[in-house]
Amino acid sequence: MANVISVENLSKKYGKLIAVDDIYFEVRKGEIFGLLGENGAGKTTTLEMIEGLRHPTKGKIEVLDCDIVKDRNTIKERIGVQLQSSAYYHFLTLKEILDLFASFYSKNLSSKELLKMVGLEEKSASLIGNLSGGQKQRFSIIASLVNDPEVVFLDEPTTGLDPIARRNLWDLISKIKNQGKTIILTTHYMEEAEILCDRVAIMETGKILVLDETHKLIEQSHFPYSISFIVKKISQQKLSELKKYSEVENVFGKENKYTLKIETQEKLNKALKTVQTINPESLTVGRATLEDLFIELTGKTIKD
Amino acid sequence: MWKLFISDLKMLARNRQALFWVLFFPLMFTAIFGLFFGKNINIGTIAVIDKSNNQISQGLVTTLEKTDVFKIQTESDLPAAKDEIQRSIISAVVYIPKNFGSTSPTAPKQVEIIYDPGGQVYSSLSGIVNQYLTSVNYQIQNSEPIFSSTLEPVSNRTLTYFDFVLAGVLGLALMNSSVIGLGVSMAKYREDKILKRITTTPVKSWKFVLAEVFSRLVINLIQIIIILGVGKYLFDAHIYGNIFILLPVVLVGAFLFQLLGFVVASFSKTADAAQGMATAITIPMMFLAGVFFPIDSLPKWLYTFVQYLPLSPLLRIIRNVMLEGTSPFLTPKNSVIIVAWIAIALLVSIYKFKLSDE
Repeated sequence: MANVISVENLSKKYGKLIAVDDIYFEVRKGEIFGLLGENGAGKTTTLEMIEGLRHPTKGKIEVLDCDIVKDRNTIKERIGVQLQSSAYYHFLTLKEILDLFASFYSKNLSSKELLKMVGLEEKSASLIGNLSGGQKQRFSIIASLVNDPEVVFLDEPTTGLDPIARRNLWDLISKIKNQGKTIILTTHYMEEAEILCDRVAIMETGKILVLDETHKLIEQSHFPYSISFIVKKISQQKLSELKKYSEVENVFGKENKYTLKIETQEKLNKALKTVQTINPESLTVGRATLEDLFIELTGKTIKD
Repeated sequence: MWKLFISDLKMLARNRQALFWVLFFPLMFTAIFGLFFGKNINIGTIAVIDKSNNQISQGLVTTLEKTDVFKIQTESDLPAAKDEIQRSIISAVVYIPKNFGSTSPTAPKQVEIIYDPGGQVYSSLSGIVNQYLTSVNYQIQNSEPIFSSTLEPVSNRTLTYFDFVLAGVLGLALMNSSVIGLGVSMAKYREDKILKRITTTPVKSWKFVLAEVFSRLVINLIQIIIILGVGKYLFDAHIYGNIFILLPVVLVGAFLFQLLGFVVASFSKTADAAQGMATAITIPMMFLAGVFFPIDSLPKWLYTFVQYLPLSPLLRIIRNVMLEGTSPFLTPKNSVIIVAWIAIALLVSIYKFKLSDE
């Protein structure tokens, strides 16, 4: 698959602060690529350098085979950008905003079609202020599609939305992918990255810790399997037996809830047998999540 | 860019708060000053108590009435009239005692003027009264004054204080709508990341800025026409200059203030900061650049400084053109100051006003 974006040896310094520290990656045509990390990990800075909004201190960026420094305007014609928590004009209607932004490009889509795509056609004469959070976010995404771009940049598209609105947005993002566009997004929701992204890079303090296809990343986890169960009472003997096969965690201080983190399939089977002998009230066998991997890698949990 | 210009115009028309500053605020000043000073200047009410009621005293009353400077009301009781001064209902009392002007040697020889020292009427009032009495003195002594003065106005035009203020309000309106209006709205665009969003598109920054400037110039034009129209047709303002010279002059001023708006937006990170900074610039200028009173009456040390404020030369030129009908380039110094300010503000805006963060 051809690369749509390639980033080499990219760094960004603000005085003494190193926001992005010598990173390399490629984004392939037609995929959803996720940049994951905490606030301040350097996701947005990286994205904005690729979009041509910030100047790299060092390194080389190519977007659609064009150099971001030399061919900035050619690139801008062919990409769509949704900024993190960006607002739009307060005194223009949705249709007027889309038409205005479309007029900036040589190639453009009809505002009617775009609004229809996200179910906002009835709101076309409304002002931004009259939309709900989810509607605003959907609008902000279609506003980045006015020029029918080949690459779409979405910076934390679902931050601050309720679960339903977030799921709506996931649908929209997959829809955009199915149109053949390449999407690069940032998020600090592990679940979102796991569901949406084909490939993920996890960033911390300006560095990329790991980068791979999402499912492979999860398999790379030191403990790819897990068992959770709830039991009223467990004997010390059974507990030490379980500890042979797994790492036992007493979850969130709940006395009777346990989680076992397990390294191999074989240990999983053995541990499962032991658990069954103690008659747990509830039992779940699962795979590790991206969040588990993230915690393993960074030694901390994601904060909002 | 046409689309941007039209969109900007739509937004300006839909933004009620901005329209307040652009239209209502200056109209409010026009109306207030128009109501006070529009049709004739009336600087206070004078009570006249004529206890003598003879030819000389009646002559004095008629003279006072003819001046048109005060409103005259006749009363009969001195303590009651004094009380009215204290309660600020009237500004002064002219008391003509009984038998004043009669030939009897014991008859009183003086007219009393009782006034409120806080008011402004007494100097002109005593001047008028004394002038009348002097002429009566001459008549009685059958002599002619040896020295006298003649009055010759530069032109036959009537100009009132309202005309002076109306020109000031024009400048004030331009300054407020541009420095505050544009400064705050640009800072708000930055805060809302609209400016940043614009930079993600291929549109050129200068087109964005120019569309903003042109749309605001259109609004300024409407603003000026409304203010002049209301001033002239509702409050009888005197406009002697050619409107087609006045409008370009005023638009140059508007352009200067828009640049100052961009300077404000360059140095403020939030809309609130911009509001504060814009107010800090406009309020002192409103009082020190000659909107409501001529600044040459300020103390000299202050005048040497305030005559160079951006609004000062603009108001001098607007008054020259609008009230005297002279050329805007009558005093080259004024034009030089304005061009200098435009150059400074333009340079600062070009180097400091950025759409993007870097």
